Amino acid sequence: MGKSKKHKRDKSDEADSEKRKAKRSKHSKSPIDYDLYDDDDSRDTEGSNEAAPAAASRTATEAAPEDEFGAKDYRKIMDLKLDHKSRPLWVAPDGHIFLESFSPVYKHAHDFLIAISEPVCRPEHIHEYRLTAYSLYAAVSVGLQTKDIIEYLKRLSKCTVPTGIEDFITLCTLSYGKVKLVLKHNKYFCESAHPEVIQKLLKDPVIQQCRKRPQLEQGGNPADGELVTEQFSAKQGLKVNKPAAPSATADPQASGSGDNPEDVKPDVPEDIVTYYEKIDDEEEDEGEDIQTVSFEIQQDQIETLQKRCIELEYPLLAEYDFRNDTVNKDINIDLKPSTVLRPFQEKSLRKMFGNGRARSGVVVLPCGAGKTLVGVTACCTVRKRALVLCTSGVAVEQWRSQFKMWSTADDQIICRFTSDAKDKPMGSSICISTYSMIAHSTKRSWEAEKVMEWLQTQEWGIMVLDEVHTIPAKMFRRVLTIVQAHCKLGLTATLVREDDKITDLNFLIGPKLYEANWLELQRNNYIAKVQCAEVWCPMTPEFYREYLNTRTAKKMLLYVMNPNKYRNCQFLIRFHERRNDKIIVFSDNVFALKSYAIRMNKPYLYGPTSQGERLNILQNFQHNPKVNTIFVSKVADNSFDLPEANVLIQISAHGGSRRQEAQRLGRILRAKKGAAAEEYNAFFYSLVSQDSLEMQYSSKRQRFLVNQGYAYKIITKMAGMDEEDLHYGTKEEQAQLLQKVLAANDTDAEEERMAGDNLILPKSQMRRKVGNMSSMSGADDTIYMEYKAKKKDTFVHPLFKKFRK
Amino acid sequence: MAQAGGGNTSHLDCKNLHQYLRTLPTKLLDQLYTHPATCLAVFQDLDSLAKTFIMRMLFLEQALPKASISTWVKSEHSGEYLEAERALAGLRIWQEQQLPGGLMGWVLNGTFQSNLKVALLGGGSPWSGSRAMNDVDKYGKDIKYLDTYALERWECVLHFMVGSKEACDGVSKDVVSILLHAGLMKCDAGDSLPAITPSGFHFLLMNTAAQVWYFMLQYLDTLESRGINLVECLSFLFQLSFSKMGKDYSTDGMTESQLPFMQHLREIGLIYQRKRKSQRYYPTRLAINLVSGLNQSSADAHREGFLVVETNYRVYAYTCSPLQIALLALFCEMLYRFPNFCVCVLTRESVRQALICGITAEQILNFLRSHAHPEALKKTPVIPPTISDQVRLWEIERDRFKFSDGVLYNQFLSAADFEMLRDYAKDLNVLVWEKPKNRVMIVSKAGHDDVKRFWKRHKTS
Repeated sequence: MGKSKKHKRDKSDEADSEKRKAKRSKHSKSPIDYDLYDDDDSRDTEGSNEAAPAAASRTATEAAPEDEFGAKDYRKIMDLKLDHKSRPLWVAPDGHIFLESFSPVYKHAHDFLIAISEPVCRPEHIHEYRLTAYSLYAAVSVGLQTKDIIEYLKRLSKCTVPTGIEDFITLCTLSYGKVKLVLKHNKYFCESAHPEVIQKLLKDPVIQQCRKRPQLEQGGNPADGELVTEQFSAKQGLKVNKPAAPSATADPQASGSGDNPEDVKPDVPEDIVTYYEKIDDEEEDEGEDIQTVSFEIQQDQIETLQKRCIELEYPLLAEYDFRNDTVNKDINIDLKPSTVLRPFQEKSLRKMFGNGRARSGVVVLPCGAGKTLVGVTACCTVRKRALVLCTSGVAVEQWRSQFKMWSTADDQIICRFTSDAKDKPMGSSICISTYSMIAHSTKRSWEAEKVMEWLQTQEWGIMVLDEVHTIPAKMFRRVLTIVQAHCKLGLTATLVREDDKITDLNFLIGPKLYEANWLELQRNNYIAKVQCAEVWCPMTPEFYREYLNTRTAKKMLLYVMNPNKYRNCQFLIRFHERRNDKIIVFSDNVFALKSYAIRMNKPYLYGPTSQGERLNILQNFQHNPKVNTIFVSKVADNSFDLPEANVLIQISAHGGSRRQEAQRLGRILRAKKGAAAEEYNAFFYSLVSQDSLEMQYSSKRQRFLVNQGYAYKIITKMAGMDEEDLHYGTKEEQAQLLQKVLAANDTDAEEERMAGDNLILPKSQMRRKVGNMSSMSGADDTIYMEYKAKKKDTFVHPLFKKFRK
Repeated sequence: MAQAGGGNTSHLDCKNLHQYLRTLPTKLLDQLYTHPATCLAVFQDLDSLAKTFIMRMLFLEQALPKASISTWVKSEHSGEYLEAERALAGLRIWQEQQLPGGLMGWVLNGTFQSNLKVALLGGGSPWSGSRAMNDVDKYGKDIKYLDTYALERWECVLHFMVGSKEACDGVSKDVVSILLHAGLMKCDAGDSLPAITPSGFHFLLMNTAAQVWYFMLQYLDTLESRGINLVECLSFLFQLSFSKMGKDYSTDGMTESQLPFMQHLREIGLIYQRKRKSQRYYPTRLAINLVSGLNQSSADAHREGFLVVETNYRVYAYTCSPLQIALLALFCEMLYRFPNFCVCVLTRESVRQALICGITAEQILNFLRSHAHPEALKKTPVIPPTISDQVRLWEIERDRFKFSDGVLYNQFLSAADFEMLRDYAKDLNVLVWEKPKNRVMIVSKAGHDDVKRFWKRHKTS
């Protein structure tokens, strides 16, 4: 199926692809094969090399003998410690780490691991993490030292830590995070606490070029003598309102076992606790003085410098010393006294403002857990001009109201810049816009042009990037070159991309600063408790016969329109409407969306629905007790804030996209009030036609959530369905439906194609799309692609050869 | 999936004591009852109604009319009465006898009666082979030692079955022959080492008590061919089951048959004897629970579980036992082995592989449940329902054929004939399947007569 669809796409893009073909055939032998998988990837290839250092793609791998069952056998390599029972970790030589969540030192280990590694899966008892070059990069950037990482890992581990891992950590951390690009007193400095690194950089001719020296003609020895050495006192930069009660109640876990010795169970090895406290102190950097060395850089050479540093494997960490920035005036904005942060929100911000400066990076929190508040607090902490970018016009409105809710900002200083709402930018200090507005490359209205000019001339203190995972890297780079910001905060719920382009984000924005544990938030009632279910709908024989005989994209239509699926859907809607639940039904396929909704007589909205109608439907859904169900297409995947909704039914989805599944779940994650008594207060149903492609897709889709600890219940038969009078019960009705499906043409069978899918395309393409509503409302680029893993042929530093696959 | 059956999917036929005894010839049974220990063991194994009958008749020397016995039971429970009656007759504990008045009555088996009296009231000669030692054993062993010893020995057998290299010192020829006899392993031509069979996998997934019992049953079957007296061995076994854990017993007075039997028990860990010639032995838990433990479902209560099953299909095993890991590998994909820990995952393929080997979903789940780690046991249910559902679904998935009987009509001479008959069958709603191209159709069994009659009428006209 994939192939035929791909073909189709190819045709529609023919004119365009012709032009690109020549270029593309350089990297890929068969351009057609790559087309579907690579859509935004291939456009990215040019110039993506400078975004990430070559070494970033390496992983820790070590040849290990296999046992008789094909498992990697590390028994010979590792020795068990005598007191292994009280230590919580196993560290495998390939970088995977297993953590016992029931260990008495779980809290310590968890905090540490989340800082140095990526969580792979975090179900109930045993969590798995993975050390990657990026995660270690992130660890270094929040201030951890190589020797501390290795030492603490050793202490936590039940076994000896493999030497390969030690080497890997050393390799990844030694060069990373050593050099920082700091904007101080409105001058750019290249700063490091390690003089030898600075010396090394200065020997490089390119970097010498970038350096700003007062007396150039004097020549002499360029490497020494002119370095600025200074003491720098790092204090936690974050100030938040504490609730009336002391912090112990707000954050019982954090202040628990680590601080009071009597809390620590006797079987915790002494060394773990002491070391933890040490590291904790260092992370907080309370008032410690650090000796740094720096040299000034010519402002116009910054990009060259950044690029060169990456080539030298010393990627620059961007930090913003906002307190000492005197050129950009402070804006008058504060958190309202009543605003209280949740412990995990505070924690994520602590990582960002750890040393009194603002670090750039990404914060990962589940949908509905209050990402917006994190963004608002960050803006209030920096207190400089702030630019917020989000994915749609609806989201812009939501951000504006959130700013007004949590902070002292008012309409005066908030400026919206979307196709529908353009506030006067003058005098405002917070601007909220969409990615597509900024990245728009063709002619704009005069008014928009003016605003853009203003945007470009401003020096932004902080840029908040919402739903950062959705944006193609290319578009990002465009946005980042248009607008200058001193620090960038990315917010997302799902840091997965089917194309693994996440790596780019690391270097475009910054490392991942914090990632929350979904299950833990759920346990503490910060997000709703969701029962996930996969409902198996058997294909009727007639549909299945056609399904097997069809070779075109219509195959998909057949399994989506399966009468049994319709009946299950109708049954679920009736069941939950009786409970007074609010239900959202998702369908990627527009044909199915319309047929279902019209037959059931429910409102529906999708790309072409006008903004007015959208708001009308959504308002009715929220306030009208008669409208309990809406049908939506994938326009609603991201940042559609519908706090009332607690039931989600998915009838058609985009292939095996893990991210879409997680984003959709996010629509019902917002914590529900007064329903704590029930075991579950939200429901997520995914309807799949048995024996069809959907089954494979769904297991793929669920992987992300399953790794977060969610469990999908499989329902093969709905109790009580026979008593209901549902549509399509008779053979005749089903046959009619089948006729209707067969009469549909192939374009109906395709998923909704968003106008913005091809945002960055030659102008001729673009013109056709102007005026499309979904583009205007910012539903652009909500594309989900499946990508084939492609072997990267990038250059690897000889040092890292050992770690090549 | 068109995989017809999975080869041998039948369960192992693991008889309980009662069923086993019923397979014995009557002569043997009568001989068995000459030992009080056997009588007591058999008595304990009966259900309470049958026990009541025996207790009421224990001191009666004559037959009781059936009619009067049936009055002891309320009429609504006549089913249970009949069952008890049948059980007692089957085990030859009582026999039918005609009373002087012509009525039929039941009378207790004389040998059984007198020996049960001895067992319950005391008296008689001391049980041979179970005489307690008078002096203290300077090599005395405590219960903990005996437990580990027994399991170690028993696992040796299991190791041998899975062919794991770590299998300690191997097993004797006799044990191998029993495994072969039981069909748990089989010798392929040209291969010197026997290989495990599907029923062998079943066996491995049973709990230890059931394994030992099944093994013993198979062993007893082979006794006759070795020229060992079955009755003596059985009574020795029953005596063992009444012995005390951690107490030493003397080998004095054991018969010619019992001594080699004891050496076999020693090999598989039912008995601890320091040296072959040693005069004393200790029965282990395996022997003591042999008869009684079978009916208790709780598996190896004295051993701590080690498995953690997660909602993401991961299975974590806290073990270094190659046997347990080999068992896990039957239905899991193994990922990592650490010194005391093992990571594996349940996948559709791995579970299907196990199902094809004849292991059932229930066995897999039972294994996971009965060996659950103490942390996992804190949750109810122990295995996440998602996982148990999915494993069951994978099993059902293999069995999706619906069979409906039918009659095939073919060799039509013309398309018209075919269509006419097909339409007729369709109208009657008895057409199961058709393929116009080949002019074949299947009519359901119920409709066959009608269609046939119609066809005949059509042909003649």
